[in-house]
Amino acid sequence: MAIKFPSDEWIKELSAQLNASEAYAQAAATWEGDNIFVILPDGDYPDTTYFYINLQHGKASDARQLKSLDEQKALFTTSAPFNTWRKVLEGRLDPIQGIFSGKLKLVGSLAQVQRTPKATYMLVKVAAQIATDFGS
Amino acid sequence: MNGYLGKLLRVDLSHNRLWDEALNEDYARNFVGGSGLAARYLYDMLEANTAPLGPENPLFFLTGPLVGTSMSSAGRYSVCARSPLTGLWGEANSGGFFGPELRYADYDGVLITGKAEQPVWLSIIEGQAALHKAGDLWGCDIYATQTRLREVLGDPKVRVACIGVAGENLVKLAGIANDHGRFAARTGLGAVMGSKNLKAIAVRGTGKVPLYAPEEYRVITNRILALHKEDYPTWQYRTYGTAGGVNVSHMLGDLPIRYFQLGEYAPADNLSGVDLAEKYLRRNTACHKCGIGCGRETQSPAYNDSKVDGPEYETIGALGSLLMIFDLEAVIHAGHLCNNYGLDTISLGVTIGLACELFERGLLTSADTGGLEIHYGDAGMVFHLIELAARRQGFGAVLAEGNAALAERAGVPELSATVNRLEIPMHDPRAYLGMAVTYALSPRGACHMQGDMFILDLGQPNLGEVGLEPGDRHDNTIEKGRTAARLQAWRNLYNSLTLCQFENPGVQPLLEAINAATGWGLEAEDLITLGKRIVNIKRLINFKLGLTRANDRLPDLLLKPLKEGGAAGYVPDMPTLLAGAYAELGWDINSGRPDEDSIL
Repeated sequence: MAIKFPSDEWIKELSAQLNASEAYAQAAATWEGDNIFVILPDGDYPDTTYFYINLQHGKASDARQLKSLDEQKALFTTSAPFNTWRKVLEGRLDPIQGIFSGKLKLVGSLAQVQRTPKATYMLVKVAAQIATDFGS
Repeated sequence: MNGYLGKLLRVDLSHNRLWDEALNEDYARNFVGGSGLAARYLYDMLEANTAPLGPENPLFFLTGPLVGTSMSSAGRYSVCARSPLTGLWGEANSGGFFGPELRYADYDGVLITGKAEQPVWLSIIEGQAALHKAGDLWGCDIYATQTRLREVLGDPKVRVACIGVAGENLVKLAGIANDHGRFAARTGLGAVMGSKNLKAIAVRGTGKVPLYAPEEYRVITNRILALHKEDYPTWQYRTYGTAGGVNVSHMLGDLPIRYFQLGEYAPADNLSGVDLAEKYLRRNTACHKCGIGCGRETQSPAYNDSKVDGPEYETIGALGSLLMIFDLEAVIHAGHLCNNYGLDTISLGVTIGLACELFERGLLTSADTGGLEIHYGDAGMVFHLIELAARRQGFGAVLAEGNAALAERAGVPELSATVNRLEIPMHDPRAYLGMAVTYALSPRGACHMQGDMFILDLGQPNLGEVGLEPGDRHDNTIEKGRTAARLQAWRNLYNSLTLCQFENPGVQPLLEAINAATGWGLEAEDLITLGKRIVNIKRLINFKLGLTRANDRLPDLLLKPLKEGGAAGYVPDMPTLLAGAYAELGWDINSGRPDEDSIL
């Protein structure tokens, strides 16, 4: 059954799938950094939603939906409107293309992103495999 | 004439004559500046029998209408002539401060013909030009030459464009350096300068560029500068330079490895721009009024290099991964040697790469190289070969002729990694299929700066207003061919504005800046029309010089799929891609020829 996006259940499912992925473990073996994903409102989604996930050396932990940004600090924050996230998760927007074009706004350690782009790529690939319900 | 000084300096070295010539306003309006305007002039001057290294080959230094103004990253200049490396249209451009200083010295450009009897250098100071004997400069490296001319002129603000030993020795891979180690590197124009016995041009001035609407121009250029504050590519370029792209490029199969034959190899990540910044960076450098600052000044302690310009991404690929050298310090040193001698790192790296490959295959032996064993991964040998090539000594005389000549000499032209005899840069067209069009149709041979599909398909420039949208990098379609051709027109406009290709404020702000500078009242689509006209005139020059539709191809080496990495399994469908490109540019599908009316 498809999982609603965005939801606490969805980010926890991403964590589970990342931990089950050997490909992600390899690609992100040197990645050190926790992440906040911000889903911003647009025509199809009225709210602002925050996800937190800790990613260290190819493993995920502590994944949860936050009430606000005050609740948790993270090394990386990536923000985009709901439909941009949807395009990424449906494979219609390449994540690197999204970052370079500014459609995905990234704040954090540029060194990590530049040195290990495969970790980002593989994370999105795993996320795209989640059966996701984006609503109507 | 707003946006222009309205004046060219003409130099006839054979007769020691210097004179001013009014800039042709009609040409400027239709071909803008830089390489476009040079093409319009040289269209009338180049003939099929013009010898690239003969006195009759005109050598043109030109700026564009935004150069020397408050526009961010508009500090470049173009150099154009018939290329001794390719035999076709040659152009190269460089950043720094030389271009703006030439305009402050009261000239839009310098057109040089003839050959001096003895080595000379040219000074252009506050509108006054003079030729000087350069006997004591001949043999100096590019850094010493620049320093000495500043001392001679008694002004540390003098800007110098010069050749190194490679240009003096007519090495066909020689470039022209300015502002320390910035280079108009490609197509061997340093050898053209050397063939004229012209060592350097020194410029200094305090003039101003006249603008149509100075206040509007100030406002729009400030707005363009401010755009860099929130721009991801700016963040990357500023923090890690062009080398910041190494890891992403490697992941996508874009970074050539082992002479274009490996799609992925873990040690290539050792060449990261992040490591370069963290371990070897001394400071960032920036061109005139640049809001980015991508330049690197580095060091390589292991080789006692305390101050090195670069290396850029292209140098890291050409003198690193392509040659299976994954030690950043060695690559920094190799780049520094090339800078000193005044050599194009791309062309020389790809030529040495072929030598390595020929050795692997037994097609080149130590009997052919004067006893040298040339193998992948041997940094010491690369350093030695750079020096030999610059001095045309021993096997270096072979390398000095370039990759295509070496492949022909070895009897394996199919192993050449060139298009129209210009060595392929460090963006693999199997990773971005649109680059196949860029390389095949680039007016100067394989060149990534004539249509950077690797940037467009990475999502960077915001160019939707002129119909240029990022797409799937592996599209093998008519539409991809059209997009690549349209981007080629856009970047040819940039090369004519002599605007840095990292300056991407979007169509409307750029349009406003051009209009405020010149008063031309252009609309967005006019920019593409100008770009296509410039592409077409260069194409017509190339037809005059012997190019035919059969030249519009990639080398066999790059039409074989890679087995691993982010480009594995992909090869460009050339007939489909080219059909799209021809349609976009309005070229005849059979002859590949543009309509002569298209340049009117």
